[in-house]
Amino acid sequence: MAVDTLILAAVTVIYLAVTMAVGYLGYRQTKHAEDYMVAGRRMNPVILALSYGATFISTSAIVGFGGMAANYGMGLIWLTVFNIGAGILIAFLVFGKKTREIGKRLGAVTFPDLMGKRFGSGFMQYASAALIMTGMPLYTAAILIGGARFLETALALPYVTALLIFALITAVYVVIGGLIAVMYTDALQGALMLVGMTLLLVFTYMATGGVVHAHQALTEMAPLVPPVLAGLGHTGWTSMPALGSVIWYTVVTTLVLGVGIGVLAQPQLAVRFMTAKDSRTLNRAVLVGGPFILMMTGVAFTVGAVSNVYFYEHTGKIASAAVAGGNVDLIIPTFIDLAMPPWFVVVFMLTLLAAAMSTLASLFHAMGTAIGYDIWKHLKEQKPSLAANRVGIVVMILVSVALALALPGSIIARATAMFMGLCASAFLPAFAYGMYAKEPSAAAAKASLLAGAAAWFLWTAFVHKTESSVMGLSHLLFRTPALLGFPWNVIDPLIIALPLALAALVVVLRRERRVPAA
Amino acid sequence: MLGIPDPQILIGYALSLGFALASAVYGLVNWNKGEGE
Repeated sequence: MAVDTLILAAVTVIYLAVTMAVGYLGYRQTKHAEDYMVAGRRMNPVILALSYGATFISTSAIVGFGGMAANYGMGLIWLTVFNIGAGILIAFLVFGKKTREIGKRLGAVTFPDLMGKRFGSGFMQYASAALIMTGMPLYTAAILIGGARFLETALALPYVTALLIFALITAVYVVIGGLIAVMYTDALQGALMLVGMTLLLVFTYMATGGVVHAHQALTEMAPLVPPVLAGLGHTGWTSMPALGSVIWYTVVTTLVLGVGIGVLAQPQLAVRFMTAKDSRTLNRAVLVGGPFILMMTGVAFTVGAVSNVYFYEHTGKIASAAVAGGNVDLIIPTFIDLAMPPWFVVVFMLTLLAAAMSTLASLFHAMGTAIGYDIWKHLKEQKPSLAANRVGIVVMILVSVALALALPGSIIARATAMFMGLCASAFLPAFAYGMYAKEPSAAAAKASLLAGAAAWFLWTAFVHKTESSVMGLSHLLFRTPALLGFPWNVIDPLIIALPLALAALVVVLRRERRVPAA
Repeated sequence: MLGIPDPQILIGYALSLGFALASAVYGLVNWNKGEGE
């Protein structure tokens, strides 16, 4: 459905102007490095919850995972279960309160700073910062791709132009305004996302004949599953994949567990707990956070699956066959473009811009402060510097844009899952232990971080076939795309690396108890 | 139920809604609880 480019451009300009104005408001309140890094530790609950939710949910969740749901079906709803259960309830109530309390007591201003100060270890700070700087650009690039793909489709812009415009606009208010500007704009964007996703759900069911009719039609499409996917365990879009099949392992271990658990130890989310004024703020934020995530991922995964009904009724093809090159990252943008009223295309474009910008801004901020504060400031033993952080953010933006230009198609959801898997493997056991131990052991934390990161990398490079075959290290050294066969080569690296990281923590702790330090 | 034959999918939807509701209830019940500044 054609959208008037002039209207689209006008609305986009208004949206960006409002975003910049809100960002400027944040900039005006940024007086000290602590304001720039942790929003002055005085954020109110609604802004905190919307910022956390909008950072959590990106174009990756909506475009990437929505596309995966169009491909694999409604089984992805289990990721929503984890998104709310782990990503909100456990994250805020188990980790959030402790993170805020300890972060404030130690004066920590970034996630690596928290790890370093909690364990009294420079290594923990540097290693955490290094992991952020190497792993986070992958996730950032995936989000850039998601936003640029929609701009490419809706505004008929060349892909590279869309990507560059997108990165530049977000960069401006992050670099200048710091975390207060990021969180204020996040909250605005979160509210917009809530409106957009609610309307998307309503219009999708209207376009496919209502809730029960749409689900029934989707169920009856099971014989249309392509033979290749059926052979890998796809049983239809309203049922789980066959237990133990290739697709079951992908959906359950990579998409559901990898991302669902991975969210618990993400630096850009953990730092938000340190912006809360008090623990009451976190209690209140939970009220907004749970329903917000339901309306984001629950809607995206449902709409993704149901889009097959629309595509089949209007093009005679299932979703993945109806888009160029079978690129699942194009399914949601194409569905919106074909099935929704023109004015909603504009609303949804803003929803996606908001989703992408809110997450991008937070990732840029987390990566930039990892360089500007955790590495640079400590190596040079200088006071926290706004200029160093700003330079750090600019450097990491350039790295992310370059990576986004280099990554292949259908990468959004997978790159997101990789980053979250790496975070959980490397950080989660040490982070959880650090928040609850009375006198945490630095040696145990180091062992856990190193074991988790190393196991995740080795499994990714040499066993998990989807990545190892692309990375080429296994082929170069051993002349095979993956060292182990089925089912190992489809089990997500997180499933192996997280228990190993936990085991390393426990082993070192037990050894220290047997041989007390002198 | 609702055109979805697989109970595993229905349980997933029920848990998603249940957790979202639990979040809302927790926030309301504990609105003024916890350490304030």
